[in-house]
Amino acid sequence: MGTLEQLGLALTTPVRRRLEMLRRDLSMVGGRVVLGRRAPVLVDRSHAGARAWAHTIPRRPVRVTRVVHETDEASSFYLEEMDGSPIEFEAGQFLTFSVEVDGVTLRRAYSLASPQLPDEPRHVTVKRMPEGRVSHYLNDHCAEGTILHVLGPSGNFLLPPLSGRPRHAVFIAGGSGITPVMSLLGTVLATEPASRVTLIYGNRRREDIIFAAQLAALRERYGDRLRVDHVLNAPPRGWTGGEGLLDPPTLQQRFDALGLFGDTGPSDEEDVEVYLCGPSPMMQAAHEALRARAVPAASIREERFTQPEARTEARVYSTTPQPMSVQIRGLHADTVVKPGQTLLEAGLEGGIGLPFSCAMGGCGTCKVKLREGEVEMDEPNCLSAAEREAGYVLTCVGHATGPCVIEVER
Amino acid sequence: MTRHLSPLERLPRLPSIVRERVEPYFEALDVMTAVKDPKIFASLGPSGVRGLILQRGKQGVPTLIGSKHKAHFDWSYPSDQPEMLELYRRAKAGQWDGERDLDWSISVDPDNPEVPMVPENFFNADKIREFGIKLTPAEGLRLTHSTVAWMLSQFLHGEQGALLAAAQVTEAVQFFDGKLYGATQVVDEARHVEVFHRYLDTKLDKLYQINDNLFVIIDALMADSRWDMKFLGMQIMVEGLALGAFGMLYRITKEPLLKSLLGRVIQDEARHVHYGVLALREHIRTQLSEAERQEREDWAFEVALLMRNRFLSYEVYEEWFEGLLTRAQWQEVVNTSPGLELFRQVMFSRLVPNLRDIGLLSDRIKPYYAEAGLAKYFDGVSARELDETTMISALDAAGSFEIAAE
Repeated sequence: MGTLEQLGLALTTPVRRRLEMLRRDLSMVGGRVVLGRRAPVLVDRSHAGARAWAHTIPRRPVRVTRVVHETDEASSFYLEEMDGSPIEFEAGQFLTFSVEVDGVTLRRAYSLASPQLPDEPRHVTVKRMPEGRVSHYLNDHCAEGTILHVLGPSGNFLLPPLSGRPRHAVFIAGGSGITPVMSLLGTVLATEPASRVTLIYGNRRREDIIFAAQLAALRERYGDRLRVDHVLNAPPRGWTGGEGLLDPPTLQQRFDALGLFGDTGPSDEEDVEVYLCGPSPMMQAAHEALRARAVPAASIREERFTQPEARTEARVYSTTPQPMSVQIRGLHADTVVKPGQTLLEAGLEGGIGLPFSCAMGGCGTCKVKLREGEVEMDEPNCLSAAEREAGYVLTCVGHATGPCVIEVER
Repeated sequence: MTRHLSPLERLPRLPSIVRERVEPYFEALDVMTAVKDPKIFASLGPSGVRGLILQRGKQGVPTLIGSKHKAHFDWSYPSDQPEMLELYRRAKAGQWDGERDLDWSISVDPDNPEVPMVPENFFNADKIREFGIKLTPAEGLRLTHSTVAWMLSQFLHGEQGALLAAAQVTEAVQFFDGKLYGATQVVDEARHVEVFHRYLDTKLDKLYQINDNLFVIIDALMADSRWDMKFLGMQIMVEGLALGAFGMLYRITKEPLLKSLLGRVIQDEARHVHYGVLALREHIRTQLSEAERQEREDWAFEVALLMRNRFLSYEVYEEWFEGLLTRAQWQEVVNTSPGLELFRQVMFSRLVPNLRDIGLLSDRIKPYYAEAGLAKYFDGVSARELDETTMISALDAAGSFEIAAE
């Protein structure tokens, strides 16, 4: 009833409801008589949400409201829920996008890069990966109004609650690993006036830097509370910033230049926390460099981006159905894993409430203990070597190669 | 209530594009002008406008229906209705779990001719052909798939009506034992919503909008402030319709999950109708004036005709044949289909004896039922004389029914 409001009529809610109903009533009759349009025959079930008996992994539609080209290779997609409300998330979390490419459903995780603030539009930023079917699809096909399908948000790359002292958050990011980092650092700067942020950000060339302008704007706004140290592998002529790959020697050099992790030991006035996100060689190098500086492991957080593109093509794990027993909350349930199904899909189809979130091996929510039998997982995924050693598997990327028994521990 | 030339039958000379747009309104007019008694018209008319003209059930937003009934409390907890208490005991013992007690692992392929949802001749295919439309066998199966999904969708919507009406009736009924029993019916209806919804969602993957005529009935009885009208509408008429439809489908389907689901639901419904008969029998005989009784008798007759004549799967027509057949031609197809004939037979064999038992089948109204071809059901067995097991074994005894070709 926008027009009535434009006329300056202040409408109470009951009146507005009645007018809404009248408008719908008239549009039913008018639509039929004038336009020859009838009410749809079927109920629209696309927004119904997850059913208790969901037989597939539920996903929901979201709408693209804006597309911004950040670099030659990367674009940001601004998103909202179908009813126009913002996507609820915690800084550092990611959405799993479920995209049909050439008739195959592919799932990929992209971090929300926006700070966790009420009025801030939410966006993900997607960089084209070589051979990346989903990243190319999104960059080529998404425009304002496009409907995408997502799960989540999920992920544990989060800001821990403040201990009572402000924090000094040190981020080490490489390439598109900047996306969750942008969300985290933006949130710290906007919501914790006494905390400060240092970012070491590695890229190949200057034109590859995603969010260069946004970072400069944050510097303007927050002054000394934000330090940004760009490190380029192939710097342009006259570059005065850091140079080289983010390997242990370069990182040591950057730590020195920034006065980080010095001999004086931890400060009493702030908590130093380190956040890592980038390609695996960078992550390994960062762990090594931090170890050399005696930074306690407990103050290091990391996001390991799995790269499903690297997965072997549609491997066949078993050609026959395999029985699966599930121990969950003291109960016992049996089902069958059909060829081509994951343990998660089989469990959900059998009505068993297995936990899960991202459904693409990236968050660990679906971790279960393998009590008996053999399970093979799509690689890479986020399970650590220690977890594998202890007999855990991820149901969302797990395939039964024989009868198996799993236990849900939470 | 003599047979009149319906406005629909006066339509055929209009150009088809105009006809398609106004036909539904003539149809609505047809339904409403058929009601002669002003009192009945006053009670059904507004619901008719909301359902048939404004199509409130199809607007894609939740529907709000006001009700002015009184919640009836009794702080002395009388043991007033031993038969209802007995139903309450049976209902408690007869609870089942839609999750545990049905085999949801059965995979359903509605397009598989080996395990037909309903027999091939469910529709009057000859009639469709007569009107110049030839369906391939695969199309025939898909049309049946649509029809079954349509019926189950209407069952689901009807069960939602039953869920909310059962809750209202539990508030309003003046028998204390009835309130205890009523609570079990609320749970039963919730379970029915659950299982029909799950079947449609996971097995047929399709959900039709509510049929306008079903909306009219639900709207009328939800909005009526008199508890006995709610009872009559829900426990006798809609439950009767449901029993007819469930019974028909139970007898003809070869799909094992659907058959076991319906078998369970029918046993619950048998208790529901039984309760309706118990509550209304007493009330109509002792509490109502003759004029009030007559009003309810007429109301029941009109609703029975509405259910018989108007439950015509127009949504399937719109999906499949709009522009190819007129609504009148579709009416003829459905009305001459063996499946619908069986549905009416099962429905009225349950409904008419129940109306007799509660005192709404006096000699005054009998000629009208006879005129509608329903006299053969006058002496049938009422729900009070049937329990859950006899109800289902009667259907089983009728055999895994193949519809006889006409």
